[in-house]
Amino acid sequence: MKLKYFIPLLIFFPVVLIQLTVVPFISIQEVVPDLLLIAVIYFSISFGQIFGTLTGASYGLIYDLISGNLIGSSMLSKTIAGFIAGYFSGETRRDKYLYTYSFSIVVFFTGLIDAIIFSFFSVIDFNTNILLVLFNHALLPSIYTTMMSILVIIVPYRKNFE
Amino acid sequence: MLKLLSYVWDNFKEYLVLVILVILSLTVLTQNNNPQVQKVRAFAFGSFASVTSVFYNFLNFTHIQNENEILRRANAELNIQVSRLREQGILNNELKGLLGMKDTSSLPLVPVRIVSKSLSLTQNTITIDAGSAKGIKPGMPVLSYTGFVGIIQSTSDDYSIARTLKNVDLKLTVKNERSRINGIMKWDGEKLVIIDVPKTYDFEIGDRIATSEISSIIPIPIPVGVIAKIEQSQTGILNLIHVTPFAEVISVENVFVLQIVESDQKNKLELNFYNRQ
Repeated sequence: MKLKYFIPLLIFFPVVLIQLTVVPFISIQEVVPDLLLIAVIYFSISFGQIFGTLTGASYGLIYDLISGNLIGSSMLSKTIAGFIAGYFSGETRRDKYLYTYSFSIVVFFTGLIDAIIFSFFSVIDFNTNILLVLFNHALLPSIYTTMMSILVIIVPYRKNFE
Repeated sequence: MLKLLSYVWDNFKEYLVLVILVILSLTVLTQNNNPQVQKVRAFAFGSFASVTSVFYNFLNFTHIQNENEILRRANAELNIQVSRLREQGILNNELKGLLGMKDTSSLPLVPVRIVSKSLSLTQNTITIDAGSAKGIKPGMPVLSYTGFVGIIQSTSDDYSIARTLKNVDLKLTVKNERSRINGIMKWDGEKLVIIDVPKTYDFEIGDRIATSEISSIIPIPIPVGVIAKIEQSQTGILNLIHVTPFAEVISVENVFVLQIVESDQKNKLELNFYNRQ
């Protein structure tokens, strides 16, 4: 059994611990960065599309269970996020998208799609302005997550995860 | 046939995995109220909350200092009010005795601590360090010293998850304390609003909003917030009342669970909306 299959499991618990305990302290108007999404994108680019899709689904499901979310909502959004991030995987593209600021751009667009899908199951109210909903529920969290993703690029020893 | 399957798998395996997982996610979404799923959830968050509670304690030290200062001030103000109310209570008891009414003022409050917060603009939840072992049950209201915080959604032995006011799945029956008019309040993802209020109803900016006695879950008035804005709907017949909550989940660390045991008969008759997903 390759070690890479255990890495997402080992990473998940510290990341979700930080997401539920530390991240609330750095929220801005209750907009918080999604650290799990950053991890899903990282694994998807590192290990491929199928691996990323499966990691996204597992992370989403466990997070739904322990956070009180609608079970399946994060699972669905993170499955699709992992799949999309997988398009930036591959021998030639990995170094380009994983170790440069392009990673943050991938996080931004994937985060946007993840947040839109997640919001779809929560804010189905036709009275509210759809553009405002997208701005508050998708764009702002994506920007915050993108800012946090810069840490992945600048933190040293990242290659040890491989 | 095997060749065809092999060809499809080799060429479209990424899409096949995606489709299978999307179908699985949608299936799980429809099973939220399944008792088996609820059991798995109770086990999962119960196990994880024991870890987060230790971590959260450590991080929470500075916030507790700030909260202590606020609580000390609130305590001083309440002391003054208590002494006033004590005098009124004595008089009230005498009058009640004269009328032969029972005292209904004592409420079973369980002090609990928040061990983690899942902040989301739509599905805001908190995990507290008390569960079914302390008599906590789904549907019990959670409140802070400032007002209503949320409702218990599910419990494990030692921990519970509560939906807060800023959760789109929580809808509350509330009333205007001044005009005594009832309405349905919900979080629309952006703001806390009382929906579909006819224009002729007496609501004014600054009015205090509390939970309504006609609610099937919270039959006593708990302060919720204050009216911040009255917005006219597009049809012009109904108003949308914006409410600013008294209790902000982001800054609350210690809360109470109100152990209200509702009448079984009443529960069977009325719709318990907290079960809705």
